Amino acid sequence: MINYQRFVLENGLEVLVHEDHSTKMAVLNILYKVGSRNEIPGKTGLAHYFEHLMFGSSKNVPVFDTALERVGGSCNAFTNTDITNYYITLPAVNIETAFWLESDRMLQLNLSEKTIETQRKVVIEEFKQRYLNQPYGDVFHHIRKLAFDTHPYQWPTIGRDIEDIVNYSREDVEEFYLTHYRPDNAIMVVAGDVSLDQVRFMADKWFGEIPSGKIPKRSIPVELPQTGKKTLVVDAEVPTDALYKVYHMPGKLQEGYLQADLITDILGFGRSSTLEQKLVKNGHIFASVSAYIFGTVDPGLMVFSGKMEKGQSAELAEKALDLVVQEFLESSIPEDTLTKVKNQAEAMKTYESVQLLNRAMSLAYYAHLGSPDLYQTEYEKKTQIPAESILDWGKEILKEENASTVYYKAVAK
Amino acid sequence: MTVDRSIAPAFQIPERIDFPLPIHRTLKNGVRLYFIPTPEISAIRLEINSDAPATLGMEEKKLASYFTLHMLMEGIKGKTSAELDDFFDTYASEVEVINTFEHHGLSLLTTKKHFQTVLPIFFKLLTEALFPEKELAKRKSQKILSLNILKEKTGNRASQLFRQELFGKSHPYGQITEEKDVEEIQRLDLIEFYHKQLWINPEIFLTGNLSTEEIKLIEGLFGELPVVQIEKKLPNFGNGNHLRLVEDREKALQSSIRVGCHLIPKNHPEYFGLWVFNVFLGGYFGSRLIKNIREDKGHTYGIYSSIGSLQATDYWVVMADVIKEHREAVIDEIYKEIHKLQMEEIPLDELETVRNYLIGNLLSNFSSAFELISRFKSIHQSGLDFGFYKKQLEFIKTFQAEQIQEIGKKYLSKEKMVEIIVG
Repeated sequence: MINYQRFVLENGLEVLVHEDHSTKMAVLNILYKVGSRNEIPGKTGLAHYFEHLMFGSSKNVPVFDTALERVGGSCNAFTNTDITNYYITLPAVNIETAFWLESDRMLQLNLSEKTIETQRKVVIEEFKQRYLNQPYGDVFHHIRKLAFDTHPYQWPTIGRDIEDIVNYSREDVEEFYLTHYRPDNAIMVVAGDVSLDQVRFMADKWFGEIPSGKIPKRSIPVELPQTGKKTLVVDAEVPTDALYKVYHMPGKLQEGYLQADLITDILGFGRSSTLEQKLVKNGHIFASVSAYIFGTVDPGLMVFSGKMEKGQSAELAEKALDLVVQEFLESSIPEDTLTKVKNQAEAMKTYESVQLLNRAMSLAYYAHLGSPDLYQTEYEKKTQIPAESILDWGKEILKEENASTVYYKAVAK
Repeated sequence: MTVDRSIAPAFQIPERIDFPLPIHRTLKNGVRLYFIPTPEISAIRLEINSDAPATLGMEEKKLASYFTLHMLMEGIKGKTSAELDDFFDTYASEVEVINTFEHHGLSLLTTKKHFQTVLPIFFKLLTEALFPEKELAKRKSQKILSLNILKEKTGNRASQLFRQELFGKSHPYGQITEEKDVEEIQRLDLIEFYHKQLWINPEIFLTGNLSTEEIKLIEGLFGELPVVQIEKKLPNFGNGNHLRLVEDREKALQSSIRVGCHLIPKNHPEYFGLWVFNVFLGGYFGSRLIKNIREDKGHTYGIYSSIGSLQATDYWVVMADVIKEHREAVIDEIYKEIHKLQMEEIPLDELETVRNYLIGNLLSNFSSAFELISRFKSIHQSGLDFGFYKKQLEFIKTFQAEQIQEIGKKYLSKEKMVEIIVG
């Protein structure tokens, strides 16, 4: 449980307050309900690029970071497929500065030519540094494109390619700001050595006059059920083959999501997981293996991936993986295994809540899904799911016609 | 209510920061234990750290410590590798290897709920490991693959070459690990290392919600660990002449740059001055290098300078992955920014920003109870205590621009720098 209090401003801004008086610091976290799922082909990566622009200047703040550093604070942000999240950490006595800075850039961001052009270059370098100039770095570009036909999850948050980043126009950027960066599309969490009254007063003072959004959000194309297996071979100069096999699965809050989460916990979480024990420690094809889910709002992917031992092929690896997965589906789940994953879920909550910033982010994230209480209720639901239900969903998801496989093949230089 | 947004809210700079002292015990084998209680957090973290042979002037077969530590979880008397994995996962406890230039050891992260169950088995990893051949063979082939992947990364290669040139090919800190080093590792090397070199001058760093009985349990167990106490003989490094190494990679999309040199020890009277100089130059997001190379020119996603911490003498390094055709320009700009910061008057508002940022940062570093023990560890391992941070806070509040400029001039000059370009 994370304690919180909640109120909503007239303009629609949802505000959560998490008081923790054991620290002298405070966190102000703002989540905008926009991510790469709100983008369109040809303009991919815009949500992430826009996050960079938010650190330029606003009408009354020449340089965002400097104004914050001057009061002893620091900040950062991230963008994913579903949300864009900004956070400030600073001495609690200076919390009002965070309100000033965040409200000014929500109300009146300066989209100067210089910022637009420089950040375009910076993001292109980020694209190269993280996705192109790394062995196996572009693999999720391939996987997403293969697995999704219509949904925007078919490109990664950085964007489909550099060309899209080159082509954003000023109009794209302005429209994006006016559509998504509005109070009624945001959740603000203020946490740490602060009080509800103080936050209520400052929220009203700094954010109260910001107008709500007027531009409706575009609807997001729905991905139709996959009807046949898809495969792709990628040749690259990498040390060994790698295998990526993904299956479509339900979105967060949908029926079956938590079962999918439990499937990958059992198969892929930790050193004792089924895949690690059978394929890595007691097998000769895989050097490493992992299984996890995309925790996305819309239906996402369950991912199995691994790197092969030298000389072993990705095709052979897929066969070995399929055997273990099949065996899992056909046998029962021992009680011990369920206890283990439930212990892990419980401990993970303890570890995560150590940091004030993590608590603030969790509240914002679950509020965006519908209610901060989901943080607790989803955990409780997950730990009560019976073994049969996990296996039923496993049989539903882990079908060949629902799979997409990328064989990432090592070729000689 | 309309608010005048053109006026920034008033702010205060925190006057004091609490640096709580850890509780200190000496176990019967001479091992020291440092403990910071965090009664409100039901997680527990225990770390045992000992001196790497290199800090004692001793020889170590390459990778012996790496493989010894990673093999501790691969089987002990009475428990196979699979049983150990299952045990720690069942109690949701994470065992991690610590393997740095100067220290090695193991850490345990667990919850109060499972602590007493997990601790005895964790302790057995330190004394009853078996090093089975099958698991070693797998570990070796995994290590070779990861070496091959790292070799492809320009940033990683640049860091390797930087360390090689800074510390020298013959010193463990400067050696580059190769496939053949992995192949040469034998089970017997690990057994020998385990018994002779693993637990030299170990210390325990502990935090979490622990009762007196739980502390006693730790004291009782770890007091039985056979340890070796040896006087340290720290290596002595000095700067050579300016040196540049370029490894061109036709297919690379960026060039990874490393520029740096040896500095001074943390207890040197001019240390804080140099530390602050580095912050202005490249040590925070508002730094001059970020402003120039990223925010003005857009040549990179990120450029930072930082101080690497070693027991004897710290070192300095600038790191960036940049547009290939601008790599020379970026290196020129690094020297220009150093020169400007040394020679030209520092604007008052920049001085205020850095001063306040650093105070806020220090407060932030000491605000999370669970992390205090790591702050203590890092400074304790350099032979200092929390007095270091008190002095640091005092320095941040009072330093003068001219003072740090003089110190910057003294220690950062092109003649001393090692420059690496890969890509």
